[in-house]
Amino acid sequence: MQRSSASSERGSSQLPFGPKTLVIGAAALIAYGLTRRSKTGTALAAAGGLLAYKAIQVRSTEAKTHAVFLVNASPEQAYRLWRDFKGLSRFMVHLKSVREIDTRRSEWVALGPGQREIRWTAEITEDTANQRIAWRSLPNSDVHTKGSVNFRPDPLGRGTFVSVNVEYGVPGGPVTSGLAALFGTKPEFVVREDVRRFKQLLESGEVPTTRCQTHGPRGIHGHTERVLFREKTNLPDPQAAPAYRKSA
Amino acid sequence: MKAVCWMGKEKMQVHDVPDPKILNPRDAIVRITSTCICGSDLHLYDGFIPTMEQGDILGHEFMGDVVEIGPGVNKEKLKIGDRVVVPFTIACGNCQPCKEQLWSCCDNSNPNAWIAEKMMGYSPSGLFGYTHMLGGYSGGQAQYARVPYADVGPIKIPEGIPDEKVVFLSDIFPTGYMGAENCNIRPGDTVAVWGCGPVAQFAIRSCFMLGAGRVIAIDRVRERLELAQAAGAETLNFDQVDILDALHEMTGNRGPDACMDVVGMEASGHGALYAYDRAKQVARIQTDRPIVLRQAIMACKKGGTISIPGVYGGFVDKIPLGAYMNKAITMKTGQTHMMRYMGPLLERVQRGEIDPSFVISHKLPLDKAPEGYRIFRDKQDRCIKIVLKPWEQPLAA
Ligand SMILES: NC(=O)c1ccc[n+]([C@@H]2O[C@H](COP(=O)([O-])OP(=O)(O)OC[C@H]3O[C@@H](n4cnc5c(N)ncnc54)[C@H](O)[C@@H]3O)[C@@H](O)[C@H]2O)c1
Ligand SMILES: [Zn+2]
Ligand SMILES: [Zn+2]
Repeated sequence: MQRSSASSERGSSQLPFGPKTLVIGAAALIAYGLTRRSKTGTALAAAGGLLAYKAIQVRSTEAKTHAVFLVNASPEQAYRLWRDFKGLSRFMVHLKSVREIDTRRSEWVALGPGQREIRWTAEITEDTANQRIAWRSLPNSDVHTKGSVNFRPDPLGRGTFVSVNVEYGVPGGPVTSGLAALFGTKPEFVVREDVRRFKQLLESGEVPTTRCQTHGPRGIHGHTERVLFREKTNLPDPQAAPAYRKSA
Repeated sequence: MKAVCWMGKEKMQVHDVPDPKILNPRDAIVRITSTCICGSDLHLYDGFIPTMEQGDILGHEFMGDVVEIGPGVNKEKLKIGDRVVVPFTIACGNCQPCKEQLWSCCDNSNPNAWIAEKMMGYSPSGLFGYTHMLGGYSGGQAQYARVPYADVGPIKIPEGIPDEKVVFLSDIFPTGYMGAENCNIRPGDTVAVWGCGPVAQFAIRSCFMLGAGRVIAIDRVRERLELAQAAGAETLNFDQVDILDALHEMTGNRGPDACMDVVGMEASGHGALYAYDRAKQVARIQTDRPIVLRQAIMACKKGGTISIPGVYGGFVDKIPLGAYMNKAITMKTGQTHMMRYMGPLLERVQRGEIDPSFVISHKLPLDKAPEGYRIFRDKQDRCIKIVLKPWEQPLAA
């Protein structure tokens, strides 16, 4: 009894995207949704309810995430796109860059709020062509993480199962806020959306976005909706020309 | 450029906004020559579909000239100067649903798929100007629009055919046609069509094209019923007769072979059940008023088919599922898989089999869009379909 309550307390105080934040966020969504006299309100409230439900599930100091997508491509094509680590930021929207130091090691830089950089060095622990890549962060990284991606052809020829497992550990101290920056929302969501973007890039050559598109005056209402709902965190940058990047 | 923006429920405004830019490699920019207001836009106007944001640019039925293309567009399919009609569904052309011609179910075109997944399990394709849940793309009631995956959707239109004859290939002609196709029509079948709005007008004509023997069209707006009669349909006014009784009588107790709901979530009606739906919708407990769907299930013959091109947004109540199950009914629906139909239907227009401009009741400059929304919603001024002209100046009053 004693031990379990202690560990869950440690969990909630250290987890930056922990239950508390999520519950507050969820409550805000529900409240905002319910007070809005529109259908949007209902959806916001529903989304809030879902967040609250999920919040109860995030309990440990470790986040284990899993995502799987069946993609319309061969294992070779999928492997090739993922193995090109410097291109990872094309679908992992929180990454600023990945620099390959040598064949095994690479330096990852993610961007937090205020353009703060969060860095870690990863080494490849397993690399089986067209089947599996696994990696983990080295000591002295801002984030402790390990992950793997598997490429498995569908036996009925319907494409390739891309399944991804990523774990994030929280070393404690000020770094925790770094992780919070990385996962404004829960890690499971971030990883799942990253893999979805991987599928989009692989199949269609680009990742869809509306960031920087033209629109009418948002007003206070429109801005609140955007912040509360999504646009800030989950939309990738445009990919056509560097000139357009981060322009609007 | 000028664009029609959604500023809140019943608040459409024309604003000056920045011109759209190429954002992704497969984008194109189209200079719009004609664009329309759709019954689907009315669900946004009335505030019934969630995830609109103040400032969103509306519109999904447009055509014009390609003025810019991104570096990833297949130049054999599209180039600058092409005159095109743009379908309202956005599709990548490469995913599994696209390969299966289920274009409106494209996996990859909705950047906010996760929102739609919360409500629907899986996300349909992105749409132009139709909520953030369905992509959040700026729409085409504007002078220019950005068109993603431009080598997949837009269809080239040869010179010499006026806009009015082809602009409805962007939505309502294919939508009416797919609605009819989903009826599984065999020669001589009787099809009951709820609604005589612009989509239904094409649905009625498509039923006859596909071999229906009888079409019974239902509405209460006189000029719309008349337009249905002009196509050869028998008509029923739901203000004047009990629809179930009338269909019963007309089909000798068999029921129509197929029933089509071309009304959707904002159906009007009478009696206690209508009041109940309306109250729940206002109280935000229910998003849709499924009056027509209920009637269609009850009216449909045993072993018959129900086709639903009318748009529903969320959750409904009191659906007679027992009747649906025990009468062995088939139900088919979906946003239109546009790219399946645009080519063949353009050919029908070119062959002179149909002149789609028959539905147009109003041509207005873009600046008049707010007024257009109002008269279209309230069915004033014998309004059936409005085409907006983005480059025309409003006449000084
Ligand atoms: N599936 C698609 O891809 C797709 C595409 C475009 C439009 N739509 C939908 O099709 C529907 C019709 O579009 P539209 O542009 O013709 O709209 P509209 O609003 O002009 O037409 C609807 C008609 O239904 C009539 N109506 C209302 N209640 C009725 C009832 N109880 N019984 C019979 N008729 C009734 C109205 O009087 C009106 O004439 C809308 O729901 C629209 O969203 C679907
Ligand atoms: Zn439409
Ligand atoms: Zn697709």
